[in-house]
Amino acid sequence: MPFFKTIRWVVWKDLISEWRTRETMSSMLFFALIVILVFSFSFSMDQDAARQLIAGIIWVAFTFTGIIGLGKSFTSELQNDCLESLQMSPAPKGAIYLGKTAANFLFMLSVEILLFPLFVLFFNLDVIEAVGTLLIIFFLATLGLSAVGTLFSALTVQIRAREVMLPVLLLPLAVPVMIAAVEATRGALSGDPFSFYSQWIQLLTIFDIIFTVVSFWLFEFILDS
Amino acid sequence: MTGLYTRWALILGVTLLLAILTFQHYQQHLATLPMGTLLSSPPSSQPVRIQGMVKSGTLQGEVEQGQATFEFVDGPASLVVEYEGPPLENIRELKTLVLIGRWDSQNQVFKAQETALINNFGFVAAAYLVSVLGLGWMVFAMSQRVMVLFKEIKESKLYEPEADSLGYKE
Amino acid sequence: MINRIIRQIQRYKGWFGGGAALCIFLGLYTGLLASPPDYYQGELVRIMYVHVPLAHTSTLAYSVLFGGSIWYLWKRDPLVDNMCQASASICALFTALALITGSIWAKPTWNTWWTWDPRLVSFTVLLLILGGYLMLRRLVDDPVRGGRYAAILAIVGGIDLPIIKFSVEWWRTLHQPMSFSTRGVSISEDILIPLTLMSIGCWLLFAYMVMVRTQILYLTELLHAKKGRLLSQTHFSQTTP
Repeated sequence: MPFFKTIRWVVWKDLISEWRTRETMSSMLFFALIVILVFSFSFSMDQDAARQLIAGIIWVAFTFTGIIGLGKSFTSELQNDCLESLQMSPAPKGAIYLGKTAANFLFMLSVEILLFPLFVLFFNLDVIEAVGTLLIIFFLATLGLSAVGTLFSALTVQIRAREVMLPVLLLPLAVPVMIAAVEATRGALSGDPFSFYSQWIQLLTIFDIIFTVVSFWLFEFILDS
Repeated sequence: MTGLYTRWALILGVTLLLAILTFQHYQQHLATLPMGTLLSSPPSSQPVRIQGMVKSGTLQGEVEQGQATFEFVDGPASLVVEYEGPPLENIRELKTLVLIGRWDSQNQVFKAQETALINNFGFVAAAYLVSVLGLGWMVFAMSQRVMVLFKEIKESKLYEPEADSLGYKE
Repeated sequence: MINRIIRQIQRYKGWFGGGAALCIFLGLYTGLLASPPDYYQGELVRIMYVHVPLAHTSTLAYSVLFGGSIWYLWKRDPLVDNMCQASASICALFTALALITGSIWAKPTWNTWWTWDPRLVSFTVLLLILGGYLMLRRLVDDPVRGGRYAAILAIVGGIDLPIIKFSVEWWRTLHQPMSFSTRGVSISEDILIPLTLMSIGCWLLFAYMVMVRTQILYLTELLHAKKGRLLSQTHFSQTTP
């Protein structure tokens, strides 16, 4: 099956180059750490205020960190004209998209999982019962962000001012993911029963399905020259 | 070229006419007279519109039957109102509203026949001005641009060499 | 095929402009002078006669942009690409005006210039997407690639906008009940006449503006091609079928 083989090779290639340089993950982690510190300085919070705001802070930090990773995903292909070889390769373009999305998803999710204990530590959260649902929420929201983000990362890589344009184009489109992720996280952290926020998880699932399919279809037109 | 400007002069004329008509309508039917002006220089027996608040503790009579007397306050000025007209539910104490009626200078009583809601006409005018001016200016700029482009295309020569940095042409 | 239809309609664009002017003038007259004030809103209902048509037209403009973008990716017709660019900039104008008039209406009615109402939020996001779209078109050097990228953005945005509206609606109902709703108020005939006139006028005006703007884009490319700066692909691809 050349299709799944392509996906696997694209993911493998990204993971290996990340393992050798450690550029993306380390810059994402440091950026996120700084964001957390800035937030904890700018809201000198007590426990109650933290509980109200923490879901928003978590997702702002994760989204901006994710954008850094997404931007790196295709700019790294610019070296040695790798992007042109991707364009010219006979491999199905959709498979390249899915591979890139999977790689971005893995980077973002692992950074989120590494960072979340720090949030728990710094803001004194009580999460032992909610870990399972939080993992589901992180999984779905990160999938949505990387599905749209990979498409726009590929779109902005060949234009001027690409570092600015990626967030400018991506953030308005990611509004539903942000709302749903923040609401579901807040519900999970404050110990509400699952049925209170299950609608947001449904919304995230629907968003993921729609935008993976749409981006899969549209990606062909970006790498088409 | 002249066609464009004639057309736009026509549009501008109609817009101005509408604006003047609206302003007249506002002056005649909607503008309110300040209560101080009414008391110091009462107009001849034309109906006028005044704005104010029903003073608390002065409302007497049957509002549902369409009859009431109360004191009406607007800043420092105040006057006594006798309302006689269609039955209403919106005269209450401390309610701000517009009254339409005549000033009876002999008995020092304002005879009101009608009420109206308070309105801030500045907002309506602002909304209309913003949208009409915004759209009109955009369409005008676009039509003018088309005209300029046609002229430029007619005048430009085929494959004209570009001037270099010093302005010389090859 | 659609190329020929657009060219056919373009010939009658004067009629669209004239019809738009007539409808809008009639609408302004009935809206400002001939219609009585509303029972609940008083004279403020007159803002609705400009606000609602502007908002309708901006959704119409986005639908044109969305449909045109799909068509462009499918058939690669440069004229359709120009039409998409034209309707994007005009959609941005209509959206901005709808937001401003809506804000002017909200101040005396709800006593605030801004509230996180689902419609307001989705229109703001629409404006942001359109701003990104217009920026994107300027930032790509190759016009053909720029058209393709912009079409992709328009399609993703078009699919996203209903989801955004839906999610903001949920989010609002969660945090505070929807106190601001005009759905309960029945629409009387007095309101309907100026509203219909202005809506038809705005739609015709939108059609006219898109045609003029498409013409501008085409003429600009023609001028560049004639001056020999750029062998415009638009110009040449239209001479061959």
